[in-house]
Amino acid sequence: MSAKAHIDKFREVIAGPDNRYIQAWKESGRGVVGYFCSYVPVELISAMGLLPVRLRGAGSTDSGPADAYLSARICTYVRHTLTLALSGRYDYLDGEIGLNTCDHVRRAFDLWRHKTAVGFHGFISVPRNVRDSLFPYFKEEIENLKGALEKHFSKNIGDDDLKKAVAAQNRVRDRMRRIDGFRGEEIPRLSGAEALTVAVASFVMPAEEFVKEADQLIAELEKEQPSGEKPRARLLLAGTELDEPGFVEAVESQGAVVAADSLCFGTRAHQSPVDEGAGDLFEALCQRYFFQTPCARMIGNFSERFEAMMVTIEERKIDGVVFQRLKFCDPWGAEAHKLRLRCKRVGVPLLVLEREYGLVHAGQVRTRVQAFLEMIGASARKTGRGRGRGRGNEART
Amino acid sequence: VIRKKFMQKEEWRVLIDSIPELIEALEADPHSHGMRGLAKAIWEDLGNIARSWERGEPFVWYNLGFNPEIILGFEGVERNCIESQAVLQNLLGDIEYTHGYIDRAEAAGIPPDCCSADKAAVGAIMRGMYPEPACCVGINTPCDSQVMSTQAMAELSGRPLFVIDVPYYDDERTIRHVAMQLFELIPFLQKHTGRKMDWDRLKRACELSNQAVEKIWEWLDLRRAAPLTQSSKLVAFTLVHQVVFCGTQLGVDVAEALAKEARERSERKERFFEERVRAVWYQDPVWTDLQIYDWMEHQLGLTVPVDVFGFYAQEGLIDTSSQESMLYGLARKLVMCQPMSRQFRGNIETYIADFMHMHQAFQADCAIFAGHLACKHAWGGIGLFREACRKAGIPLLVFEFDMFDARITPRDALQTELARFVNEVVWPRKQRKLRKATA
Repeated sequence: MSAKAHIDKFREVIAGPDNRYIQAWKESGRGVVGYFCSYVPVELISAMGLLPVRLRGAGSTDSGPADAYLSARICTYVRHTLTLALSGRYDYLDGEIGLNTCDHVRRAFDLWRHKTAVGFHGFISVPRNVRDSLFPYFKEEIENLKGALEKHFSKNIGDDDLKKAVAAQNRVRDRMRRIDGFRGEEIPRLSGAEALTVAVASFVMPAEEFVKEADQLIAELEKEQPSGEKPRARLLLAGTELDEPGFVEAVESQGAVVAADSLCFGTRAHQSPVDEGAGDLFEALCQRYFFQTPCARMIGNFSERFEAMMVTIEERKIDGVVFQRLKFCDPWGAEAHKLRLRCKRVGVPLLVLEREYGLVHAGQVRTRVQAFLEMIGASARKTGRGRGRGRGNEART
Repeated sequence: VIRKKFMQKEEWRVLIDSIPELIEALEADPHSHGMRGLAKAIWEDLGNIARSWERGEPFVWYNLGFNPEIILGFEGVERNCIESQAVLQNLLGDIEYTHGYIDRAEAAGIPPDCCSADKAAVGAIMRGMYPEPACCVGINTPCDSQVMSTQAMAELSGRPLFVIDVPYYDDERTIRHVAMQLFELIPFLQKHTGRKMDWDRLKRACELSNQAVEKIWEWLDLRRAAPLTQSSKLVAFTLVHQVVFCGTQLGVDVAEALAKEARERSERKERFFEERVRAVWYQDPVWTDLQIYDWMEHQLGLTVPVDVFGFYAQEGLIDTSSQESMLYGLARKLVMCQPMSRQFRGNIETYIADFMHMHQAFQADCAIFAGHLACKHAWGGIGLFREACRKAGIPLLVFEFDMFDARITPRDALQTELARFVNEVVWPRKQRKLRKATA
């Protein structure tokens, strides 16, 4: 089977709230738990013998049912996700874990509790700042979640259960890092849209099945020789929750490649493994999640995220940053402002795009990206510096 | 000193010129203690800020979810709430300046759908309206817009930011978690302001805070009586009191002025408007146009004895018997009393329960959800709130507007919504009920 055929399989997996792997899992009599955000340690769910599935809005075409409760001032990711829940398309879930990720997810959690038949509602209050003194609170939250899961599903998580779950999830991260490498090549064997397709699939499949499929994809990609022309520009995609490869396709449609990302469905979720050799594996698990490259919901940790982005920009020879934000998202709205200031300071071209979930404004995106690529090209010619070393470019949005 | 420090910017000039004029105008009404007290306190506070500025004393910036008592524990350290410029301009100056701040922030990349209070804060910082800070304190409440404004204040000022995390829950553990962070905040403030925490000063601030809280409770109790004898527009100023004045003598004076006015007016059984319908104004006040409250009272007979900003919960008192108890009390106040932080930080049940309490305690006939456009944590609860009102048989009006940006919803649109609701829904319904009771 070709790499393309493998990608198509992953594409099918992420097309809706359900997929054949989830169905097979359920048919075998095992439970499934949905969760909202990248701060949920999925290893805990796996260690219970349950399948963690990240909640998404894919497959929803009309957010009407959720709009009636949430209004139209809530982001479309949350509205579409809730719509699926309200219309019974997440009825296969045995539990659901909410967080205080943002105002939107918090309000959605109210409705999951009140308006769905899901039997278990866990919650994690994740501190809004990453610093050592707040870690004990986060750890306690994870301990409480573990206790609640164990109580509801009548199973205690043993050391071996956790060890196996951590190892399995680390394998997923490892495969994702390897797959991600293919789109970072000078002539990429994988597009940004394809890389995101695989990354999203990793959140909605059993770890073992994902690794099996990913290994086959990697083997196929390794067989293929890079071919074709160098991309017109190498972009880094950052910003809000994004699990829609169609958006990335629109960005790449003008000859550029999204050679790297800083997304919670992408690289940020896979970049740091849990330390399997740690004496206290539970502590190591909590540390991995709390001290991961922070989401924009974390106040005062922009510098860490920006520095990590700058490292990627160097490594992947990035020409410009495309920042996308779901309308009404305040945390990532703050990011747009700070990124403008910082990118200008360091001379990295930046394009800021606003989007709605479930609706790729392909025409608009193409036009904006085309203009951005022309600007990058013009700037590179003016400064006499090649693409991928755009430090002399002045940021424009 | 005020003139010397503030007159370089036209925005400040307008305020500095208008506040004494307003105080003078209010002197004409001997019973208008509340508004006059507030205006006088603002004027005095500006004087204190100007003097501190003149002396080169360190300033600490913070966002509107924070209460400043702990900063008052540091002698010679001045506090500045970054949303204050928008409030001052809307209530006492020229709203066009607020619009200017909002536009400036949006032009710099702050998304238009963020809260206008915070956009205006960012714009005011960019315009250089505040004395430069030694450091900043940011708190994640009441909403995600604070995530934006706190980081913008740190990024634009280039000064260190201390973040206070308020968790989702309403329990003892949450309060202890916040108290622990207030304890952490002290060395941070000491380091960046170069001043030492004076626990006696903090104790004094907490005592003044307690005195003010007791008076605000007394004031709110007086506003429970029907008909309402004091203006509707005053009630939301509790938030200003909490964010700017708590812990100061000025705060006690403002609270006393508000209570005194309500007390005197109730004793005189004064009614300068005919009350037909009482509403719990359950979202943001119309600070783009305070006169709309006068219009509501006189044209519709609609009064607002309480709103979400005005409600002051029972957890407001601080035990001053030890350092630990003070930090605990301050934390409890931040978690449980700060308007919106209390109702929206956690689950929606708190918001609905507070409304039901207010509706009963203040003898309301209806609810008005004045939906500030960017208030996502409130809008996200509208469905369950609507269901709760329906179940309780409480008429509810829901509309969109912006509490700081007058360009969003024009006055006549608000008037149309309010008039239709009162005249066609609430008042006929209330009359039916009265007739039924009489029969």
